[in-house]
Amino acid sequence: MAVTGETFLALLPELVATGFLILVLMVGVFAERNVGLVAGLAALGSLAVVGSAAVLLAIGFSGSFFGGGFVVDGFALYFKLIVAGSAFFAILAAARWSGYTGDAGEYLTLILSVVLGSILLVSMRDLFGLFLAIELATIPSYAMVAFDRSRRESAEGGMKYLITGVIASSVLLYGIVLIYGVAGSAALSDVADAFASGLSPVAVIGLVLFISGFAFKISAAPFHFWTPDAYQGAPTSAAAFLSVAPKAAFFGALLRVLLEGMPESAPTWTAVMAFLSILTMFVGNLFALRQSNVRRMLAYSSVAHSGYILAAFAALQGQAVPTAVEAILIYSAAYALMNLGAFLVIDLVGEDTKSFNGLIRTSPGVALSMGVFMASLVGIPPFSGFFGKAWIILAGAQSGSVLVYVVIGALVVNSVLSVPYYFGIIRNMFFEEPAGPAAPAKDGSGAVRFSVYSLAVATTLFGLLIIPLSALVQNSGLL
Amino acid sequence: MITTITIFIPLLGAILMLLLPDDARVARYAALGVAAVPLLLATYIYFAFGETLDAAPLSQDATWIESLNIGYRVGLNGLGFGMFWLTTLLTLLAVVASWDVRDNLKQYFAILFIAELGMLGVFAAQDLILFYVFFEITLIPMYLLVGIWGDENRRQAAIRFFIYTFLGSTVMLAGFLAFGILADSFSMEALNAGGGLSRTAQIAIAAPILFGLLVKVPAVPLHGWLLDVYVSSPISTNVVLSGILPKLGTYGLIRIAIPLLPQGVEPFLPFLAVLGVVNILYGSFVAFLQPDLKALVAYSSIGTLGFILLGAASGNAVGLNGAVFQQVSHGLYSALLFILVGVIAARTGTRRISELGGLAARMPWAGGLLALGALAAMGLPGLAVFVSEFLSIMGGYEAFPVQGVLAALGIILSAMYLLYMLARVIFGPIERPKYEGISDAGPVEMAAIVPLATLLLVLGIFPALLISVQRPAVEAILSAIGGS
Repeated sequence: MAVTGETFLALLPELVATGFLILVLMVGVFAERNVGLVAGLAALGSLAVVGSAAVLLAIGFSGSFFGGGFVVDGFALYFKLIVAGSAFFAILAAARWSGYTGDAGEYLTLILSVVLGSILLVSMRDLFGLFLAIELATIPSYAMVAFDRSRRESAEGGMKYLITGVIASSVLLYGIVLIYGVAGSAALSDVADAFASGLSPVAVIGLVLFISGFAFKISAAPFHFWTPDAYQGAPTSAAAFLSVAPKAAFFGALLRVLLEGMPESAPTWTAVMAFLSILTMFVGNLFALRQSNVRRMLAYSSVAHSGYILAAFAALQGQAVPTAVEAILIYSAAYALMNLGAFLVIDLVGEDTKSFNGLIRTSPGVALSMGVFMASLVGIPPFSGFFGKAWIILAGAQSGSVLVYVVIGALVVNSVLSVPYYFGIIRNMFFEEPAGPAAPAKDGSGAVRFSVYSLAVATTLFGLLIIPLSALVQNSGLL
Repeated sequence: MITTITIFIPLLGAILMLLLPDDARVARYAALGVAAVPLLLATYIYFAFGETLDAAPLSQDATWIESLNIGYRVGLNGLGFGMFWLTTLLTLLAVVASWDVRDNLKQYFAILFIAELGMLGVFAAQDLILFYVFFEITLIPMYLLVGIWGDENRRQAAIRFFIYTFLGSTVMLAGFLAFGILADSFSMEALNAGGGLSRTAQIAIAAPILFGLLVKVPAVPLHGWLLDVYVSSPISTNVVLSGILPKLGTYGLIRIAIPLLPQGVEPFLPFLAVLGVVNILYGSFVAFLQPDLKALVAYSSIGTLGFILLGAASGNAVGLNGAVFQQVSHGLYSALLFILVGVIAARTGTRRISELGGLAARMPWAGGLLALGALAAMGLPGLAVFVSEFLSIMGGYEAFPVQGVLAALGIILSAMYLLYMLARVIFGPIERPKYEGISDAGPVEMAAIVPLATLLLVLGIFPALLISVQRPAVEAILSAIGGS
């Protein structure tokens, strides 16, 4: 196992992330007062990761390294772009807030650690490496949730997240160990060989535990209950970032394990996914309908959207596999744009639904952007969420499985079910009178505004991004 | 290219509106100017191309997503051109009739223009995904128009409208996506006559598509959203809401469901004819009971939409020509009646039929034109609605005799409630002393009313003006139905 120049190139995004992580931590210690410098470095770091992943993608770099345990392909690079891109906007939003706490360096270091864990995760072809990457991505995120010392909910949310997260990790690890026991190896190719001749009872238990562990991480029902408390308590930038970036990476990793590690057992796990998907959609939407706090609403909405993505996992069968993979890629990007934007608006407006009253009068730009995010989360064209849902339905129609048709039916019903709470915000913004005179723009909110507007534009023009995405699937390396 | 330009000029108009200063006069004149451009272009298309709407300069075909064969494909044909032109006219008249919109006028026009963009796009789209995108683009603007500028009831009405139609269109989208992915293309041309799918597959796909389109129309019993929305909207929104929006559904039926899925739609046709008759009879009966003049017009509008369903279900040349024609004549007469209701309510301060009476003495023009609109609605010969209802009933009778006879009965019912309404509103002694001083419709109001009344007459006397444009397209449908 020779480490060559090519290996360094393959690890470029990870090396860049590690370098900036250390840099931000060090500078944060020595230049505690200079928030602009620290945040600038962190933002630069995330952009550098985006840049290095984009270069690798552009030159068509691919290969597997470290005995096949670490793979670089179009698929992995795509998710690295989503993770690092989301991190950039989260860092812009975090800069102002974390500056007040006096701990900008630590907080931004935590974000970069989650980035590092997440971008490693999508490249893992070995179950134990996968587990380590998951822990690298989640342990800093516990601290991020609990970081706001001025609010009790933050500590409470962090504690709940920590406890359930640790349980989830143990369940996941147990599943991995059982799969390892059956296959005699943790490499996905060996697992695939061992599972090809049918599933033994131990393998089934391993598979179920493995998927359950992942279900915790992606907040799929019935393992979602930490989500609302964690997102409500967390600083806004943390909730925004954690609900899109690591989650996208978890979906990417799960997709790789299922397609590369157990393709022969697809009938079993697609059925499990169909069940999880239906349950998750309904739980997410029915609880979201009852919320008057926008953070909690978006937390349940993120549960519902996990359910939608799981519908694409249920469609991973027969000739629908390429479309389903494309659906997962498109949905992850579409969701990252719209959800990140929606969370960041909370930072500008407030977390009570009433604080959105009459926003179109007091702050038209932000109101229009929020309108775009809400309409996109519902799935109305031409916004990004529409394309995500459309591709899932396409994959479902191609799958030819009755169970998947049921899942698609549930998805249609749930899209309609979600209208009242997303449009409740639009109603408040456009139809109600403002509660008082326009609040003066908060100090340093320029960066957040910049993020919100950029994300709204990207959400609107998503239809033009679709073309390169679908080309990417053809050479993703997964199929 | 000229089609694309016509569709997207309203988008430029919307942006322009938002850049204007906050001045109601400036906003109105600018909006008039913007709305006139698509009308001029569409009129030019009529005179330059008329019966050859498939000419190359009108079409555009650019690949968007190659792997799924989705494209930006637009073009015009006789089934949609009447509505395409009417959309540009009614948007202009909606701008003229915006006298009851007082706040945030330029935002109102900007949103109206976005809705126009979506509606024009629907009547020109030649690709299922593009059709759906335009179809949905109309949704949020209509929601905002009703929710922001409507009366007290507006919030409930707006969200109910949104949920109903969004449910319908999402179900329809599932049908479209299944159709395109199984037939390997989303181009309407490639999908003609079933795109090679089996009868069973066509039926499974046609069911959700029909459901979505019928919610949009709305076909009774899917009309639960309609009354509140119509009654609480400002008049100028009513013009678009009743004149154009239902036709997105009926046009989809005639352009997509029937020719693209002939075998799939076939088992549903008798039910469709029944739904048409139900609309006609239910609309007329319920209109009878309405104390509110605007609600009466709303139910009358639901009722006459039934003729489009009946004609479309007939599957023969006569009925289909009637259905396509009725889309336009329904738009003309319902817009006319809604504007007149607005004119009357603005002067008398009420829309309750029992509180009105004898208005013809004080407002001869408005009263006379209300009579003209009502006579049109009941299908009086010489007016456009007669031509289309007559054709729809003839075609419907040929295919489904019972439904045809019942539909003819509906005409008698509509004559009854409309004449009764006229008797109580414009004839007789003046009901209230305060109506002594009211004035007739002013020049601005007449500018919104006269074009509609004129067109009802012109198309009633010279139906060939429209029939000649739609005939080639109707023949194409018949060959799609017969050839499968």
